[in-house]
Amino acid sequence: MDEKTKTPLLRLAKRSSFPKPAAWAIRVGSILFALLLGCVAILLTGNSPFKAYATMINGALGSKVYLQQTVKKAVPLLGCALAIAPCFKMRFWNIGAEGQITAGALAATFVARTFTGKLPSLPLLLLMAAGAILGGGLWALIPAFFKAKWNTNETLFTLMMNYIIIGVVAWLQAGPWEAQQGRIAQFDASAQLPKVLGVHCGWIIVLVLVLLVHIYMRHTKQGYEIAVIGDSMRTAQYAGMNVGRIMMRTMFLSGAISGLVGFIIAAGANHTLAKEIAGGVGFTSITVAWLSQLNAFAMIAISMMLGILTKGADTLQTAMSVPAAISDIIIGLLLFCMLGCEFFINYRLILRKKTGKGGAAV
Amino acid sequence: MKKLLALVLCLALVAALFVGCQEESKDTAAIKVGLICIGDENDQGYTYNFIRGKDAATKALKEKGINVEWVVKWNVPEGDACEDANIELAEAGCKVIFNNSFGFEPYMLKVAPNYPEIQFVACTNKASRTDDLENTHNAFAAIYEGRYLAGVVAGMKLQQLIDDGTITDEQAVIGYVGAFPFEEIKSGYTAYFLGAKSVCPSVTMKVQFVNDWSNATLESNAASALCDMGCKLISQHADNSTPATMAQSKGAYFTSYNNDMISVAPEACLVGTRIDWSVYFCEAIEAVANGKNFDQDWCKGLADGAVVLTELNKDIIAPGTEEKLAEVEKGLKDGSIQVFDTKTFTVGGQELTQAFALDTDGDFAPDKEEAVFNGAFHESYYQSAPYFGIDIDGIELLN
Repeated sequence: MDEKTKTPLLRLAKRSSFPKPAAWAIRVGSILFALLLGCVAILLTGNSPFKAYATMINGALGSKVYLQQTVKKAVPLLGCALAIAPCFKMRFWNIGAEGQITAGALAATFVARTFTGKLPSLPLLLLMAAGAILGGGLWALIPAFFKAKWNTNETLFTLMMNYIIIGVVAWLQAGPWEAQQGRIAQFDASAQLPKVLGVHCGWIIVLVLVLLVHIYMRHTKQGYEIAVIGDSMRTAQYAGMNVGRIMMRTMFLSGAISGLVGFIIAAGANHTLAKEIAGGVGFTSITVAWLSQLNAFAMIAISMMLGILTKGADTLQTAMSVPAAISDIIIGLLLFCMLGCEFFINYRLILRKKTGKGGAAV
Repeated sequence: MKKLLALVLCLALVAALFVGCQEESKDTAAIKVGLICIGDENDQGYTYNFIRGKDAATKALKEKGINVEWVVKWNVPEGDACEDANIELAEAGCKVIFNNSFGFEPYMLKVAPNYPEIQFVACTNKASRTDDLENTHNAFAAIYEGRYLAGVVAGMKLQQLIDDGTITDEQAVIGYVGAFPFEEIKSGYTAYFLGAKSVCPSVTMKVQFVNDWSNATLESNAASALCDMGCKLISQHADNSTPATMAQSKGAYFTSYNNDMISVAPEACLVGTRIDWSVYFCEAIEAVANGKNFDQDWCKGLADGAVVLTELNKDIIAPGTEEKLAEVEKGLKDGSIQVFDTKTFTVGGQELTQAFALDTDGDFAPDKEEAVFNGAFHESYYQSAPYFGIDIDGIELLN
């Protein structure tokens, strides 16, 4: 075959192995590249990029109060990324975490409204958490059941389920559960999560979850089954696994964790239920899960990074009067470059060369 | 590998270049003021009206030698993001923080106790009376006075249509697009209705609630349905301008809220009314700048310029409207005209003789302080947030 005429200008080749330091160099490089692109956005507003980045870091970590807020933002992201991980490992594209969070928060609120005043704080909170786990789990079980039974498309199914449950909450808050002006009343103090070190104790719950999810995924039979299905459904079937059952079990688990996150947001941060309660966490956490490559411990770092970015972006908006959209652009650029760089770690670009001496790895 | 390293180093170098950039320091003599908004200027209604107030206040205060540096958060939802926004503005060094939406208050109240030296304001809400905190405030203008005036303009127009034979007495029907069925809105449309009735005795009103503060389509549909039911004039208490354009396309007249809507519906819009927030902003900020206290529950109206009418659409208002307005305005200012004069309306066929103003047990039903005395229901007398929630005769609620 004639190499010179057949080779396209640019071609891709899968890397067989890649030295770890080089992979990290690419990752660091991609962040620097994103920050440089972000400079353009900041320069457009007439501000100094360096000052802007310094403001962001300072706004996220510069004081105890800032750090507390950053952690508060990271907690639901971490929790929800942990929820998504088992599904994604199984290559079951659950993008309904937003709805599962809402379902969990809804169930927790139902418990809070029913038992406030009848139970002391600790049992009440435990019951709310149990309700949320059940609520989120059952909500996730529905698409899993249809997938297992009739092989429906889980991506669309889970997505559509979000809008239904959000609609239910919208109806409740303007209808049967309305306190005033289309809002549900704030929870009684006994139904609010206590604070530890200035942040609601949801952060302790998600850190425990990190450990549990890690053990579940890496050191249990069920975790192994999930990995096998993810790698090859046929192999799993050949090995005699009941794929449908495992799917439903995993989705219930995923929804249950999302539901627990819903409880944490409702009882820890919002102290009430509203249709905006999930606030995009169910979607952003997909990014967290991907960037961490489904590694539970890496999720702590990535969710903190996103927490720093969002809190920093908030401060950027107030401190330098840049439009909120500029902050969103910077976050978007960073995530895009960080996700995109994985491509260059897995593949190499080969430029056509006259000498045929190979290509430049970028 | 070498190329890769070179590339990364290059990027690092370029990034480092920006380290040199400098930023000029800001005016340190200015007082920092925070404002948290549920929307932004694009709503051309509720939040836009606050921005106008903010800009006017900045100008007025500058003339008094007070420089204001505003720190504004836009599009903040009514949830824990509002708590974060309050913390952020407090940490940024704001001396006073205004929350512009009713639903912000519970989240503001979580932050206020931690910053006793900073003043927190929840516009349109009412917890400062009961929260035992020194640094929380509420504010609302006596917008019912402005509504009454706008009602007079509307009533004049309907009476003109009756007098020249275009419609009969019974056809003088006003359609009202309301956000939610509670006091703030009820007080508003009742005042509006009574204003119209004072100059057009046969007028009646239909009210359609959309159960949303800002939903352009729902508001438009409600206005459309009201026109189809025979309403000759539309008014609104929600955030969009779509009822104005719908009224115009259906050949009905219109009066607006929050903003002058003549530009979007020149053949329909007679007049509008709005709160001029600059009056309150000036008072509060000036007090804070001078280290003084300001009212924890603030309410001012027409007499102090806190409530204003927008420009009259002189091409289509009824003749004699301006003279009548001047007369009514004078009456409202000197107290000779009471908006909720109990002689002018009935409830279930009876004159209103008793109504409580305040809810003290948290069930959202008033249980304390008699509001009816000296022949009138006294709105915004015990607290700035409206509490007239009574359904009077002549107003039909459609949902």
